[in-house]
Amino acid sequence: MAHRVDHEYDYLFKIVLIGDSGVGKSNILSRFTRNEFCLESKSTIGVEFATRTVQVEGKTVKAQIWDTAGQERYRAITSAYYRGAVGALLVYDITKRQTFDNVQRWLRELRDHADSNIVLMMAGNKSDLNHLRSVSEEDGHAVAEKEGLSFLETSALEATNIEKAFQTILNEIYHIVSKKALAAQEAAASASIPGQGTTINVGDESGNTKTACCST
Amino acid sequence: MFGKKAGTEELEAFYPIRPECVAEIPKTRFKPRAGKTLSARRWQAAFSETGCLDIAKVLRRIQRGGIHPSIKGLVWEFLLGCYNPNSTLEDRNQLRQQRRERYSMWKTECRNMVSVIGRGNFITTPIITDDGQPIEVEGCRVTSAVSDKKVAQWMLILHQFGLDVVRTDRALAFYEDKANQAKLWDVLSIYSWVDDDIGYVQGMNDICSPMVILLENEADAFWCFECAMRRLRENFRCSTTSIGVQSQLGTLSQVIKTVDPQLHKHLEDLDGGEYLFAFRMLMVLFRREFSFLDALYLWEVMWAMEYNPNIFWSYEQPDGASDSNYGQLNQKMLKQYGKFQRKNLETGYADKNNALAVFLVASVLETKNKQILKEAKGLDEVVSILGDITGNLDAKKACQEALKLQNKYLKKAKRP
Repeated sequence: MAHRVDHEYDYLFKIVLIGDSGVGKSNILSRFTRNEFCLESKSTIGVEFATRTVQVEGKTVKAQIWDTAGQERYRAITSAYYRGAVGALLVYDITKRQTFDNVQRWLRELRDHADSNIVLMMAGNKSDLNHLRSVSEEDGHAVAEKEGLSFLETSALEATNIEKAFQTILNEIYHIVSKKALAAQEAAASASIPGQGTTINVGDESGNTKTACCST
Repeated sequence: MFGKKAGTEELEAFYPIRPECVAEIPKTRFKPRAGKTLSARRWQAAFSETGCLDIAKVLRRIQRGGIHPSIKGLVWEFLLGCYNPNSTLEDRNQLRQQRRERYSMWKTECRNMVSVIGRGNFITTPIITDDGQPIEVEGCRVTSAVSDKKVAQWMLILHQFGLDVVRTDRALAFYEDKANQAKLWDVLSIYSWVDDDIGYVQGMNDICSPMVILLENEADAFWCFECAMRRLRENFRCSTTSIGVQSQLGTLSQVIKTVDPQLHKHLEDLDGGEYLFAFRMLMVLFRREFSFLDALYLWEVMWAMEYNPNIFWSYEQPDGASDSNYGQLNQKMLKQYGKFQRKNLETGYADKNNALAVFLVASVLETKNKQILKEAKGLDEVVSILGDITGNLDAKKACQEALKLQNKYLKKAKRP
């Protein structure tokens, strides 16, 4: 296994993968980071990590993706899991209705544990198994709309929409961060004008582009 | 048995790999070695006429070269404490019979609630809702709403390990047979019913699978798994805020902090102070870092090193048995302890989180210490550097390194 020793990136974004057991989280991760799909994949124990560096509007963004076990009992380590996460991909399996019904449970967990500004996307995975489908794409869209999430149907096996799902999340995070950075710059600039009466609170995550939004 | 060609080819016959998977799994390093590995002949010779086992002799071999695959299951039963080496063959046959009956009774009890148990099949979708209402599942019907909390909790996890059973050791030809998948599922079902305190947590399938393969009789496999879980179950204990293995991770952090403060500091800086990246190694005892056979080799060397002659009685009569005092032990008795356990006795260091596995992870970290310090700028890189050990670690050498580290730690920790 080779290690990239360069650390030349403008941003590091931590993204978490969540969803029930067996919906394909680990294969989504391996498809995105290594362009691999493993038919013999095993259940995830604890936490696994992988990264990929992509370009977003001319900036180099390193996506550090955390993958975890789907079993509910593993939620005990969530605080470490969500700490510093700026994006989440919530996955269900279009052939298993219950994994879709459980989306509500995952959203609740996100509300309880994740940063309120986390960028969220829902993915209905295994779209290659259309003949076994038990959740229609419309149902997916309806929930996404109601909850205000981006939504795509994906297939890690056929590499459908995996890139797009992550690109969408990363773009959105980038926009939020660059907007914040811009606001901070403006705030800093106006604050430095003598005579200006208002004190502008520059949030702790603004200003430093290198570490803004970063977990590590 | 140890002929020149007794190497890999013969070994593969024990746990055949599906041909299409050969390329994807780590290569096996274990080879039976004459004069080191415990062979079937040596094993038989270690029993007295009445069937008492000279455990010291056996331990010495296993710690030097593991166990030949032809006898692994039988030896594991002793290593894990299912049987007392000082018992006679007749005692053990009786106990085995009793245990098989007890298992069969539990299995009937479970089958009366969920008909699919024991039928060569299993489920991967829930059979009841969170509030106990039956859900129609093909081949398995719960007849009425479930109100008993224990029953409901158990029913709610059955499909969870169904999902894991189909993903367990898929590279092995053994699991191409649905009946064998069902055997693993049945054992996990009964275990989670009996040990409802732990129930089922992902990863237990990885621990259980080798028992199901090594021991043909399902009840025997269950009891072997049950004994293995005695030493591992605290790792799988979940509360709403923690998972048991985190105490071992805490010990690991303590060990690294003591023997290599610089590395510990670096990991802390990477947000890895909780050592979550080692979670899986401890939870499933390196199963994912080794080939199937090498993992078995590692486990038996570890268990031999951790062996304690009181193990059987401590399981049979948890209140009665107590660990011996180092001072009271003569040389002969000391030889019935594994090397790791002996060291703990000598130093009077008793901490239940102080498993050999913790030192094994620590020694792996130590071997990669320079690279981690120099190259790892994130936890993913720590993981990927540690990933290099996959298929590259010799189980016995790794355990020996772990013992050295234990030594170093005990010396340093003792000093004020």
